[in-house]
Formats: sequence, C-alpha cells, structure tokens
Amino acid sequence: MTALAPSASAADWLLRDASDIARAVREGQVTATAIAHACLERISRTEPRINATTDVTACRALDTAAALDARLAVGDMTARALPLLGVPFAVKNLFDVAGLTTLAGSKIERGKPPAARDGPLIARLQAAGAVLVGALNMDEYAYGFTTENSHEGPTRNPHDLARSAGGSSGGSAAAVAAGQVPFTLGSDTNGSIRVPSSLCGIFGLKPTFGRLPRNGSYPFVASLDHLGPFARSARDLALTYDAMQGFDAADAGCIDRAAEPTLATLDRGLEGLRIATLGGYFTEHAQPEANDAVARVATALGAQRRVELPEVARARAAAFIITNAEGGALHLPELRTQAADFEPLSRDRFLAGALLPAAWVVQAQRVRRWFAHQAAELFRDVDVLLAPATPCVAPEVGTEWLTINGQRLPARPSLGLLTQPISCIGLPVCTVPVWGCHPRLPVGVQVIAAPWREDLVLRVAQVLQQQGVAAAPVAAL
Amino acid sequence: MTPAEIEAYVDAAAAALQLPIAPAHRPGTLQYFALAASMAELIAAHPLTSRDEPAESFVPIAPAARTS
Repeated sequence: MTALAPSASAADWLLRDASDIARAVREGQVTATAIAHACLERISRTEPRINATTDVTACRALDTAAALDARLAVGDMTARALPLLGVPFAVKNLFDVAGLTTLAGSKIERGKPPAARDGPLIARLQAAGAVLVGALNMDEYAYGFTTENSHEGPTRNPHDLARSAGGSSGGSAAAVAAGQVPFTLGSDTNGSIRVPSSLCGIFGLKPTFGRLPRNGSYPFVASLDHLGPFARSARDLALTYDAMQGFDAADAGCIDRAAEPTLATLDRGLEGLRIATLGGYFTEHAQPEANDAVARVATALGAQRRVELPEVARARAAAFIITNAEGGALHLPELRTQAADFEPLSRDRFLAGALLPAAWVVQAQRVRRWFAHQAAELFRDVDVLLAPATPCVAPEVGTEWLTINGQRLPARPSLGLLTQPISCIGLPVCTVPVWGCHPRLPVGVQVIAAPWREDLVLRVAQVLQQQGVAAAPVAAL
Repeated sequence: MTPAEIEAYVDAAAAALQLPIAPAHRPGTLQYFALAASMAELIAAHPLTSRDEPAESFVPIAPAARTS
C-alpha cells in the first residue's frame, strides 16, 4: 500500500481499500471505532445524493468496533490476526441481518418480523473482523437492472447523479463507488453484481454457482441465484471472498466442496494463462465504448485470440424463461392478494411469469445444460474469456430505450444481455472497471473462467489493476 | 403464439391458478407473456435429443445422525 501520513485521519483511511484499513487498525494507526464513526459520517453526508442505503446499523457497528478495539487493547493476538479487522461493510437488503426485517427491496415484506440471526455470509465476515454498518437499496425482489425502486426511490450513480447505478444490487455498487464502505455484498441471478459494478466503476465477483451458501438471504430464482462481493480492488474481492467460502447444507444449491482460497495466488500474474475474447453475440450486443473496453483489456493481457460460444441468444432465452417462471411461482401467493403493492416496473413481469407453461421451463433447463457442455468444451482450449459486462455506460435514470448495433431495445432488460448467458451456466466472473472509453464514465469487462476457477479471474483482475487498465476511484462527491 | 392465443392462454391459466389480474395490470401481463413466448420459441427451436437432460438435479436428503 502507499503509506498515508502519520496525521492521516480515519476519514482518509476509510477511502483506502479493506486490506489497507485492516492493516492500519492492526498496526494501531487508527482504531476500529474511529473507522466506524468516519463511515457513519460519510454515509450521512453522501446519502442524500445517492440513496444507496435503506438501513444504517449504527449502534451495532459502534458496539462491534468497540469490542474489537477492546480485544486489541489487551493484546488479543487472535483479534490482531483477523483479515478484515475493523473493516466496515454493508449488504443488499435481501440478506438477513439480525434485528432487521429482510425487505428484498419490497413494500410487501415491510410488516414482517425481523430476522432472528445474520445470514451465514455476514456471520463469516464478522468473524473475520468486519463491521456491518447497514443494508442497501435494490430492485424489488431483485427483478431489475437499474435499482429504480419506487418504494425507496432510485439509487443514483455516484459518478453522475443523473444516471443509474445499475441493478439489482445498485445500492451495493453505489455505496462502494461513493466511498461509504470499502466493500459490500450483493446477489447476481442474471447480472445483478456485474451490471452495477460496470456502471459504477468498481470490481465485482460473481462466484461459481453453488460456491457460496445462499441460506439467510431472500431468494429470487433458486436455479440461478448467486451471492458475492463488490470492492474497489481485486485484492479486496479475494480477501472477502476467501472469508466467505465454505459449504452449508442449509442451501440446497450449495455444492459440498472444500474452500479454495484465492489470496495466496493473486499475484501469480498471467504466466500459463490462455486468454481469449468472446466474439459474435457479445460484440454484436455492445456499443462501441463497451467493445473498446474489452479491446483495451485484451491488449493489456496480450490476448489476441477471438473465440465464440454457440447459441448464446438461446442460452439467454433459457435464463429469461427460468427466471420468469421461478420468480413468478415464488411470489404467486402475494400476486394473488397484493398485486397492487408490487413494484410497478416489475409486477406485470411477475404476473406473466407465474403463468408460463411447464414445458417451456423444462426445455429451458435442457438448453441450459447443453450450453454448459459447449462452454466446457471451449474451456479445454482456453483459461479465461473476456466480454463486455454491459452493452453501454450508465444510462440516465428513467431511460426507456437503448440503441445497440442499430437495434432499438427496451433499456431495463437489455442491460443484462451480456451477463445473462454467463450466469445461466454458473461460470465465475470478475467484472473489472475500465475508464477512458467514454469521456466521463466507466464501463466493465467480464473476466470469465471455467467453474471453480475464481482464482484465475481474480489473478487477471489483479494484473489489470496493477497495470492501471482497471481502476475503481472513489467518486468526487 | 398469436396475440389472440396469448390472451386466451393467459386468461385460462390465470383462472386455473386463481390468480386475478386487474384490468390495469392486464396489458402489461400480456406484453410480458408475449416476450416470454418469443424466448420460448427460441429455445424450442434448439435441436435436442431425448437423452439431453435438464440442468436441474436433486440430491436425496439422508436423515440426521442420532445423537444418543
């Protein structure tokens, strides 16, 4: 890390990454309590402009931080070794947080009892020394790509307040880009980590499907839901992801597989990696800025090969059908009795989804498996694939239509055109933020690997960050 | 599916599921069902054999071990 002056304040440290903050607390340069106060102050100061946060757990944060400081004061070496010592974080409001009602962005859940306990990922992060400071805005029930939440108001992009933060984990991306916290958690069913990471200019990791347990979070589509972290550095993604790994039988979709830590191999560089750009569908559905970002990344990595996955549009269609049907079926009881209380932007999609014929859904799951085999075949010959994360930079809040490759497309669903085929088959992806392809705004590139190779996507992201090709500066607010 | 087929199907399926669709929500529901139908056409046209299984899998759940 670049050293901060001895007079550096907690507010200065807060704008560094989680790795630096934990080290500063460990070395006594700042206390966990001072970091927590600085974090709460920055949330309070920036929140009126970005609207990322729906709950601030100030008492819990200050109590947790004070307990960590007390342990350090008596020389507790176990506390001193915690990898996320005193690092504040926040979570999409679909994660169970003890004492808070799990909203999942909805009005309907507001009257429900609070969660009795934290979800396992929050518990694991807290055990690693992290300090929870709040819950974050999202598209209702995670069905959207813009976080234009009619109940809470839209989350705004910290780099341009007129623009969308992306979604559905828009609060998770905006809070990191605004410097409120160094890392957050979100969920990704069809792109909900990768789209907001791209639009807000930060790093996001969607792990392999089945890697991180999802119990203790509000589901959307059991067949496709993933959870993962957002951060301003590749190192922080590795640090937080490693702290969250581990099987939990309470999630029927979690695969019983040993943890495979990534931090130790993060600096191995590119040696031995075969990297290629995905052509065809992925370039045809992106605007020039997004394709330019991929070209810059490919050049930096020396990746000259271009390869194609077959039938990508059908894979996207499969993900669309599975999402629509499972989401609609999940919410059928509320659709019957409280349809008017749903988010107007997604209610009619839920209603339609609840009616889909079973044959469509089964066919979608069969096409999904076929497509996964095609990707596995491609990965025999390549280790890492590159593709744009979104077709464009952040659109203005309220944008209804996008023009992509001469085609006029509905803006909200089209933001996920490039992420949806990849999550459909559960591949691990790190979105890296690239600047300079648009005069003022970032756009993300998906760094994709074969299942269970999160280590590779994080290694490549680390190289790109060290080369300055990818960067996640805190927005000037 | 034609627009008329979509309307007939949506009305019949909604009745079967006891899912009332308010007049204000009906145009949107029909529009999104038509979008899903276009996606279904894409995947239905994809050649598969009877041996191509769905991606979903089920893992049987063994009883928890006795504690005494």
